[in-house]
Amino acid sequence: MEKENVKNTLEVKDLVVQYVSDNEIVHAVNGINMTIGEGKTLGLVGETGAGKTTTAMSILNLVAQPQGKIVSGEILLNGKDVLKMNHHDLRLMRGDQVAMIFQDPMTSLNPIKSVGEQIAEGLRIHQKLDKKDAMKRAAEVLELVGIPGSRAVEFPHQFSGGMKQRVVIAMALACRPNLLIADEATTALDVTIQAQILQLINELKKKYNMSMLIITHDLGIVAEVCDEVSIIYAGVVIEHGNLEDIFDHYYHPYTKGLFDSLPDIENRSAQLKPIKGLTPDPTNLPSGCPFHPRCEYCMEICKETRPKMRQLNDTHFVRCHLYDDTDERKL
Amino acid sequence: MAKPLLEVRHLKKFFNVAAGTLHAVDDVTFTIEPGKTLGVVGESGCGKSTTGRAILRLLEPTSGEVIFDGVDVLKLNKKEMRKKRQEMQLIFQDPFSSLNPRMTVSETIEEPLKLSGMIPDKDQRFTRVLELMDRVGLAERLVNTYPHELDGGRRQRIGIARALATRPKFIVCDEPVSALDVSIQAQILNLMKQIQQDMGVTYMFITHDLSVVNHFSDDIAVMYLGRLVEKAPSEELFRRPLHPYTEALLSAIPLPRIHNRPERIILKGELSSPINPKPICRFANRCPYATDICRQEEPQLTEVAPNHFVACHHVKKQA
Repeated sequence: MEKENVKNTLEVKDLVVQYVSDNEIVHAVNGINMTIGEGKTLGLVGETGAGKTTTAMSILNLVAQPQGKIVSGEILLNGKDVLKMNHHDLRLMRGDQVAMIFQDPMTSLNPIKSVGEQIAEGLRIHQKLDKKDAMKRAAEVLELVGIPGSRAVEFPHQFSGGMKQRVVIAMALACRPNLLIADEATTALDVTIQAQILQLINELKKKYNMSMLIITHDLGIVAEVCDEVSIIYAGVVIEHGNLEDIFDHYYHPYTKGLFDSLPDIENRSAQLKPIKGLTPDPTNLPSGCPFHPRCEYCMEICKETRPKMRQLNDTHFVRCHLYDDTDERKL
Repeated sequence: MAKPLLEVRHLKKFFNVAAGTLHAVDDVTFTIEPGKTLGVVGESGCGKSTTGRAILRLLEPTSGEVIFDGVDVLKLNKKEMRKKRQEMQLIFQDPFSSLNPRMTVSETIEEPLKLSGMIPDKDQRFTRVLELMDRVGLAERLVNTYPHELDGGRRQRIGIARALATRPKFIVCDEPVSALDVSIQAQILNLMKQIQQDMGVTYMFITHDLSVVNHFSDDIAVMYLGRLVEKAPSEELFRRPLHPYTEALLSAIPLPRIHNRPERIILKGELSSPINPKPICRFANRCPYATDICRQEEPQLTEVAPNHFVACHHVKKQA
């Protein structure tokens, strides 16, 4: 497949994904829309079970079968619908146009293959390099992420956690994907190592004008690497905007709750204000707005009608009944 | 200054491994006053959990003294230690693997009361279990549920109730909120703080999350490769970190804001090996300020300002 030059690297439209278990339906993703422009980085923020990883897996058309099912929606990658691709095209797409970095570097590497061979594998498949050239290129990619190329012959257990994550990043970058998906890529790492990896990601992004989807629960990481943010709750985007919209002028009560739950590093006596209650059970989502049972601004309409996404300005969107007929911030 | 509840002196815990001796905790000394919280921070493998476990003798320390309430607990025999543990408890990191899947909520909370023989009467024990459940915010209807039926936040509440059962004076909290989502994390931190205010319990709070530790602790100890490198009151430590490692660690926190973001100090390299460490500064290979002396001599923990202890050759004592 040709890598086409289109403006949006990724467009997800009305994505609905469900898992069926024991006659129950898990409503994991319930109508997600997102767009990532060329060279842009979108942060997808939400708590456990919000549907972040399911969304990412859908982009690669890798939702676990047979229990998982993409019910409806479109996922346009460089203008082509991933959900309509056949098996052959999907294989050509994965690892070439889109690459993914997973949370746990300890389990995403093959323990019995050298890291060089693992990086070379994608190059041999997608760029049809022979073994020698692929290994040479693998060593170059390792250098790019700050690991001496001579270590390409070593095995995963010979690397520390931070180094393994660099190897995984090298593997993802080997074929120069247009879109890199990082699913909690630095969560398992120590802060000083995390700082190194975030710096590396920022450099590589600039160098290759790559689009990125960063999945995280950490708003600090979002502030560090993202251009735009989507806050996701119970499988829907409840607020979307650029960094300024979300960090300085958030509109949604849930977004406010996320910020209020974080300890303030400069004011250690400030009381934490947790969001009351728990994230909803995806097999039995609340009616109306899924956040209404936990929301301190809950109104009658919130219990019955699902709110629509309202556009506040060029970049900022919010899905909340507080703004049904006003653009004025109510928090 | 109040008499400390816990005094740890020259605590060492070494492990014999194939490649030599692993210095997990190497000559750690600190005190905690009653009713206060000492936060212990550091990265994976720095020895913070091992320190917590060695204090409770869940891991037998190699050497040192742990004076708890005037008694050196390392000198107690097995029976005396069991009794002492009623006063010294532990909350674990992972509420998913630290609870027995075959015990109900009430059985889990009741177990320490039963084993310690504190409340021999069954009905009285049950009353106490309900009291504890109420204390930690667990609804009474959950009394017969099993851990797998509950979410992470509720499971951690069970862990807290169980730790509180024997009315301890001191609790080692080993990453108690790391496995929880932020909104739930805040609920649990508020609960633990409330319990401290009401019951006067003393915490040793082990974590890798610096913004949490700052919020929660009175004093903070920073560990690096088995050594305590800096200890100071929380505010002082965050305002004026003196050890180069603390400085880098604090600057590495990703702050959830987009304005006034501080300049990062990105450390090069990673931890050196804790196996047979040379008697030099263990941070020297990553330290931007390292000089010859750092590679020749091991710096000792020194009080450079009131209550502010640092182990670094380049931090001078302040008048």
